[in-house]
Order: sequence, then C-alpha cells, then structure tokens
Amino acid sequence: MKMKLLLTTLALSLAAPMIHAADSLVVYSGRKDTFVKPVFEEFTKKTGIEVVVHAGESTALLNKLRLEGARSEADVYISNDSGNLDIGNSWGLFEPLPAKITEQIPAQYHATNNSWIGLSGRLRVLVVNTQAKDIDFVKSVFDLADPRLEGKVGVINSANESFIGGVSVYVEEKGAEATKNWLKGLKKNTGKNVYSKHAPIVEDVASGKLAVGLVNHYYIYRHLAEHPDAPIRILLPDQGDKDMGIAWNVTGAAVVKASKHKEAALKLVAYLVSEEGQKAYSIVNSEYPTRANIPAAPTVPAHGSFKTSKVPLSVLGNKRAATLDLIESVGMP
Amino acid sequence: MPFKRPSTLFLMAGIVVLIAAIPVFFVIYSSLTLPLERWASLWSTRLPGLLWNTLSLAVLVALLSLVLGVSSAWLIARRAFPGRTLATWLMILPLAIPSYVFAYIYTALLDDDGWLGGLWQSIFGQESLPPDPYNLWGAGAVLGLAGYSYVFLLTRAALSRTSRSLEEAARIQGIGPWRTFWSINLPLLRPAIAAALAVVVLHTLADFGAVSMLRYQTFTLSIYLQMTGRFDYQAAAALALVLVLLSLGFLVLERFFRQRQRFYASSQTRIVVPKRATRGETLLIWGWLGLIALFAFILPAAWMLGWSWESWKDDHLDRVFWGYVGNSLQLAFLGACLAVVAALPVALYHKRRQSLMSAGMVQLSSVGFVLPGPVIALGIITFMLAVVEPLYGGLAALVLALVICFLPLAIQSQDAALQQLTPSIEQAGRVLGAGPLENLWRVTLPMIRGGLASAWVLVFIDILKELPATLILRPTGFDTLPVRIWLESSEEMLELAAPAALMLVLATLPALWIMMRGEKRAEQAG
Repeated sequence: MKMKLLLTTLALSLAAPMIHAADSLVVYSGRKDTFVKPVFEEFTKKTGIEVVVHAGESTALLNKLRLEGARSEADVYISNDSGNLDIGNSWGLFEPLPAKITEQIPAQYHATNNSWIGLSGRLRVLVVNTQAKDIDFVKSVFDLADPRLEGKVGVINSANESFIGGVSVYVEEKGAEATKNWLKGLKKNTGKNVYSKHAPIVEDVASGKLAVGLVNHYYIYRHLAEHPDAPIRILLPDQGDKDMGIAWNVTGAAVVKASKHKEAALKLVAYLVSEEGQKAYSIVNSEYPTRANIPAAPTVPAHGSFKTSKVPLSVLGNKRAATLDLIESVGMP
Repeated sequence: MPFKRPSTLFLMAGIVVLIAAIPVFFVIYSSLTLPLERWASLWSTRLPGLLWNTLSLAVLVALLSLVLGVSSAWLIARRAFPGRTLATWLMILPLAIPSYVFAYIYTALLDDDGWLGGLWQSIFGQESLPPDPYNLWGAGAVLGLAGYSYVFLLTRAALSRTSRSLEEAARIQGIGPWRTFWSINLPLLRPAIAAALAVVVLHTLADFGAVSMLRYQTFTLSIYLQMTGRFDYQAAAALALVLVLLSLGFLVLERFFRQRQRFYASSQTRIVVPKRATRGETLLIWGWLGLIALFAFILPAAWMLGWSWESWKDDHLDRVFWGYVGNSLQLAFLGACLAVVAALPVALYHKRRQSLMSAGMVQLSSVGFVLPGPVIALGIITFMLAVVEPLYGGLAALVLALVICFLPLAIQSQDAALQQLTPSIEQAGRVLGAGPLENLWRVTLPMIRGGLASAWVLVFIDILKELPATLILRPTGFDTLPVRIWLESSEEMLELAAPAALMLVLATLPALWIMMRGEKRAEQAG
C-alpha cells in the first residue's frame, strides 16, 4: 500500500503541468535575478501581481522561448543584449507594445516595430589598475591586442552577448579584417585569462594579476562600492576626435506573444519604464536609464560627457551571426 | 517457453536504451547538418587544443584518483587501526561536494586573502604568489579530489570481497607484501578499478562547473559556450559528437580490460579479518589518510561552515532558501528511483546474455553519461515538444534528462553486483520452480541489494549535484541548490552560495549512510 502511495505521488509530480501558481506572471530574465527581484517585489506590492523569475543566460532563454513557441509559460522576456531582442523580434516571438509605453522612451532605445523596449544602457569600457606600469599608451579597445600587454589583459569568453555586441560594433567601425587581426592579438594576449564572468576580471585587475580588462562599466562601480580603496579606475576608450567612441548596448524587455497574461505583462513593462521603475532597475546597478531626463548615478561619468559609437543598436542583432563566424575563425575561447 | 522471458526482458531493455539514446540521435542528426567548411574551421581552430586539454586532464585526474583511491582503500580494507570507520567516512564524504563547489572553494582559499593564500604568503613571503589553480594542474587536482572516492569505494568493496586465501598463499610462499600486492591484489582488483576509473574519467569528460570556474577549456565547456552564444546547435553538436566518439573509445577499452577476467565470489569466502596495525603503522596510516581528508573534505567543509555561519547571522536563510532544498531533494529522489528501475532490465539482460548485442546496449546507454548536460537537455526538449508535448513544462523533461545523464551509473553498479552473482544461484531458483518474476523478486534482487542501493545512492548524489542540464530544463520557478550556487557564486556572493553547498553535503549524508549500511550487510552475509 505504501508502495502504491509513493508511486502515485511520483507519477503525479511528474505529470503536474506547472510548479508555480497559474495566475502569476512569469519572467524569463537574462539579467541576474538578484537585481530584478527587488524591482519585481515593489511591483507586486503596488499591483498585487505575483512575479516568478526564471533566470539564466539571455541567449539560452531566447532559444528556450523559440523552442517552446506557443507552449511557453513566459509572459515577459528580459535580455541583457538588444541583439537578442531584435532576433526574438525577427522570429515573431513578441507582442508589439502600445504607444503609451514606447513614447516614454527615446526612439533609439526601442525596436522600430515597438516589439521591445530598452530599459538601461551600458558601456563597453576598460578597467585599469592605477598602479600598473607601462600601460599609458592604452587609449583604445584596439590597443588590447598590443604585444606589450601579453599576459596582462582579461576578457570574458566569446559566448557573452556583451563581448559579441562589442565586436559587432568594432567590425562596423573598423572593418572585418582589422577586427580579425585584433581578435588574434587579443587571443594571444589573454591566454588563459578568458573569464566566464565579468566580476572576477575587475577583481583580478584590482589585485594586480591583470593590468587591464574589457568589461561593462557598471562592474567597476559594483566593485568600488564594496572596496572603495581598490586601485582601479575606468578608462573610457576611443575618445579622440577621429576615434570611434565607446561601444554600447541596452538591456530591454518584451512581452511574449504566447503569454496568457498580456495585460499584467504590459503593466510590468509599464512599471519598468516609469520613473520609479527606472531608478530601481537601472540606477541601482550604475547603468544609464533609457528614460529621458533621469540622471544616472552620480558615481558614473555623466551621460553626454563622453563620445559613444554612432553604429545603430540594430547591428547587434542582424550582424550577430557574421560576428560569431569571425570570432570562430580566430578560435577565441 | 524458455525464449519468452528473454524476449520480454529484451523488449524492456530495448525501450530503455532507445530512450537513453535520444540525445545521441539528436547529436548525430544536428552535426550531420553542419556544412563541411565549418567542420574544417572547427578542426583547424578548436579541435587540436580541445583534444589535448581534455585528454591530458582525463589522464591526470585518472592518475590522481587512482593513487588516492587505491592506497586509501587498501589501507582501510587490510589494516585494523583505531578510527577505521571514521577514516572510511572521511574517504567517501567528498562525494557529497560538487566539483564546481570544490573549484570555487579552492579559488577562494588560494586567493591572497584566502586561508591557503594567506598561509602561503606567511611562509614564503608576501612577494611569492600562491599556486594558481587556473590551469591543467588546478583543474586536475580539483576533479581528482572530487572523484577519487569512486575508486576508493569500488576498490574497497572488491578488496573485502576477494578471498584472502590467495594473498595468504603468496605470503606463505615467501613473497613480499609489495609483490603480493602487484601480482595478486592488483590483477584481482582490475575489474573494480577499471569500472571506477571509467566513472571518474566520464565525470571528468562531462564536467562543466569546475572547468568553467577554473577557465580550463575542455570539450564540454566549449560545447556549452557554443550553445549559449549561438542560435544554431550544429557546431555544439559536432563537438559533442567528437566527445562521444572519444568516450566510446575509452569505454571499449575499459570493457576490454574488464572482460578479460571474471571472478565469481564463492559463497564460502571467509570473512576477511584485517591485520592489526602497529602503533607506528597507525600513525603513518592516519598521516596519509588525514592528509587526503584534509584537502578533500575537511578544508572545504570548514570553509562552507564558516560562510554559512555568516549567512545564518545575517538572516539570509529564509523560506525561499528552504524551498531550494526541497526542490533538490524531490528531484534527486524521483530521478534516483526511476534510474534504478530503468537500469535493471538493461543490466539483467546483459548479465543473462553476455552477447555482443547486450554489451552494445550497455554501451549505447552509457553514452548519455558522457554527453554534456546541455546537449542532453536540448535533445530532450526537442524530443518532448515534438512527441509528448503535453508533458512539457513540468518536471518530466528535467527528470527524464537527468535519468539519461546518470543511467550508466546505475547500470554499472547493478552490472557489477550481478557479475558477482554465480549463475548457478539463479538457475537453482528456476529449477526449484520459481517463475521468472518470482525468481527476480525472491532470489536475484535480494542478492544484489547492495548493488541496487549503491546504484540508487550514486544517482541520487549526482542528481543532487547536477548543474548544466538543470539550468536549462528546470520548470519555471523551480530552482535547485546547484542552480542557486551557480547564480550566486557568479557574483561572488559567498554568503548565499556557502549554505547551499553545505545543504547539498547534508542532504547527501543519509544517502551515503544507506549505501554503507548496504555494504556492511553484504559483507556480513558473505
């Protein structure tokens, strides 16, 4: 009898269609869940709508969305990379957002057909150790391939969307051949210093194991918040008159077409673009709010005080495959 | 009539093997669609480096776990010394610590401000940097420490099963202890060691967490990166195919070593009475075992306790955290039960037939073990959405993938137990009039109870520790302890990762206890 009970329980838990309450909102989040959960908790307090976060890598989650199709439980997709959002859009996975949401954010931060909306901006910058010797010549991302930096550079692996996005921008600015040569030099200079996360790159620059790292800007401020005396500083690359400026990217959200809670999903997106939501989502993480007229955190370089690349964001999506092939041809880990 | 039973068994085993092979079909199909020029580019840019990295790591881990596992097993099985039970436990406890937790802890410990890093600098001066774990040696040491317990377990079991009469005969003939070990023990132990090394090497080939934390590029890590960055799986599948071929070659080698000899334990084996160790020997034994235990368990455990205490003080352990614990236990329990049941027909069929066909079936189901978790996960998603769509979304997909991942472990343990079973015992049951099912239930299963228990426990522990497939397939809102460790440790949030790791260890303890009790019973019964 006990056996039977056990077997029934097993069978039931296997066949159960879902684990969470049916009326809660499901968010596939490529952004780390400890950063989005506080925002969602505020949202739940305001609206009474429960949010279930399914965290993972942005691209893996997009793949999951595509495979699941109409069967997906996801209501909202949050990506760390606008390229993913554009690709998801081209696959027809998202529901267009109403004008009353999109008009709150400048046009360069959302899809042309309003299928997704940007929530925060991030810069591809260099972090340097303030005590490192002989690195004064480093002014550009392209200097990271200089033989003088062998063994002193840390980068993230080439599966990372921020890295891929940056390379797409460099290809647009400098051409495929120059970028390929740069990648070759970078591969040689980094050696085994190819990381799977950004935070340890900053840590190793701070400890002096590395002289310079290529990271998203907020990782530097996150480290400085914990270790105010760390010997690191931000280096905004490619700022000369003829230089390309900094490659940048936005995180963003989209409502999933298969969603069965579209009204609630739209409420969540509306909250994320509201002034309060923007503060909780982007400023807390030292990123640049996409909503106009909200200043970034006082610790980060003020918006407009530096030069950014003119390459449009849409490149990150439609050049993704070509960029990956280029990286693959070099064999960058 | 006599053919009816094997055919039912064959059918059941066939179904299990077919399901287990789904991810392999997926890999073959996907990699066949990869254009030739991309194969060529993979071959020229990635494969040579990956092959070298992966193979040298596998060899290093095998050697390390061989030395640690066989030496500790022999000392504990053949010498009586104070604290022998404690020593046994210390040798198997590392099984409870996932390889990525090992990697994570050792990078933290070896940091300038970590315990070991600090100790190093206080001995060798501030200028000298502590050893860098981010290389072949670091990855090898971590995976060796995480895996040698398998060698210990199987070697010790084999040592306590093999009759001492052969050893004694050799010693009476005036042959020294070392030569006896080389010429008597080692050949007798070869099947057990080969099986254990297979488990260790397959774990190494499939390891994702540790190599990714130590930034050591192996096939599995490269496959994962190919999958997470891209939207097509062809390159990942192609790499996985090479990995499968590699492992297949290895498994054939291992089978070859095991097939050459088979020993049946006679039922009259005397209980092995280990020799009492002198005081000096005891000191030496504990010195060696203590050193192993220090690095393989005590240091990591102390680290986990320390940070968990911080976490406890800061009130991080809330209801949500205990939810993760519950999820992990539920998943591991379900998966282990299913894996043991699914493995039985395959192991039985192989035991009864011993044919090329049956060996091939065991081999095919073993491939699941060496396919990287993410690849298995993808194969299962694709299969489920295409064939049994309504089951998608709950736990079924995840459990199925995990059972496929660890089925070989269950088959191996059951197979090992069945191989020790003298065929005449089963035949006696049939002669005495028991039907096939009754015979199975009343004769075979009780005889291999130990093997069943260790199969269940090994799968339970591995599922408890599994990361990459769970990461992809977990149902929405269903986070397990490894997933949390992965998400938390990625941002250096020690206070949240440490208690999760500690919970994993604690959850594994009862399972290990069940296994040890099963072994003890088997020993006494022998």
